Amino acid sequence: MADSASHPESDSSPVPRRSFLGLAVWAAGGMIAAVYAIPGVAYLMGPALQKAKAEEWIPLGPVSKVEPGVPTLFRADVRRQTGWIVNDEQLTVYVLTDDGRSYIALSNVCTHLGCRVRWVEGEQLFFCPCHNGVFGKQGQVVSGPPPRPLDPYPVKVEAGQLYIQAA
Amino acid sequence: MMNRIGDWLDERLGWRKAWEAIFLRKIPKVNWLYTLGSATLFVALNQIITGILLTVYYVPTPDHAYDSVQFITTGVSAGWLIRGLHHWGASAMVILTVLHMLRVVFTGGYKFPREVTWITGVALLLIVLGFGFTGYLLPWDQKAFWATIVGTRIAGVAPGVGSTILRALRGGEELSAVTLARFYGAHVWMLPAALIALVGFHLYLIVRLGISAAPGRED
Repeated sequence: MADSASHPESDSSPVPRRSFLGLAVWAAGGMIAAVYAIPGVAYLMGPALQKAKAEEWIPLGPVSKVEPGVPTLFRADVRRQTGWIVNDEQLTVYVLTDDGRSYIALSNVCTHLGCRVRWVEGEQLFFCPCHNGVFGKQGQVVSGPPPRPLDPYPVKVEAGQLYIQAA
Repeated sequence: MMNRIGDWLDERLGWRKAWEAIFLRKIPKVNWLYTLGSATLFVALNQIITGILLTVYYVPTPDHAYDSVQFITTGVSAGWLIRGLHHWGASAMVILTVLHMLRVVFTGGYKFPREVTWITGVALLLIVLGFGFTGYLLPWDQKAFWATIVGTRIAGVAPGVGSTILRALRGGEELSAVTLARFYGAHVWMLPAALIALVGFHLYLIVRLGISAAPGRED
């Protein structure tokens, strides 16, 4: 170019070479940072974003154990995998019937902050030991901090056996 | 806007002077072999980032180490990538450190006034080898186990103090849960602390003294 001979540091290009190279270094650095940041976040959040396993019917025991009008305690063994560890855990469920035909199954996990509630026959109430949450026989909140009733499980009876649906 | 924030900080921190001293310093005429140290530093950063991420899932006990590594590799999003970067980065680290050292030897970069830079560099090479040795055991598979049996035995043949060194490395007579735990402790706390301190000193000396020029025909 004739022009560049008279002006070695020509202004004809809008970005001078020095700042272009500086920019290129920053861009390359930014890309390298993204190559670490994106898989890094995926890696950290992966187990947190995993969907819960499909629910299945879990046998609780003979339906004859349930006396009408009394929340009856059942324990079901479930196998759970967390990370690389397979654990045998127990689900605790209160089953209640009024007429011997329709049943409700309540989780014993307090809806406030997850402590375990206990049925007290004398008071006819569920009590949570942690923050004095109190639930009625059907799981409804009677007093204390719980935001909602005890969580019910879907329940069915087959050949005299009770089943609940849980993950 | 960015300029004003930069000015505000510069008035208080003097960061522009530090930036110029570190990144805009004059360097003599050199060739691409003089980037091996920077390449080593980059891989060291890779090892630090991926290593920190691996500790999120890795458990250094005989009953969990192998399974937790398998979980990282197959059960966690991008876990294979993070572990792969750390695995291959470890080999790259040793290779680059040695190549960097050879460059310094052959170009005479260790001479006055850079003797202390050289000495810290030798210590850093030993630390890198320590990282490789301790990290190799952590997956707790057959290869890891037997390599450490052999490696600690080799340390054990040193005359006089050999059996003491072997017991100190293994944390007892046998290679056991104690060995795995202490190798992990060395790998994620002792060696990184030493590495970061010495790399900081090494880099300070490089900034302070500048790098040596490539030797010419007369040198």
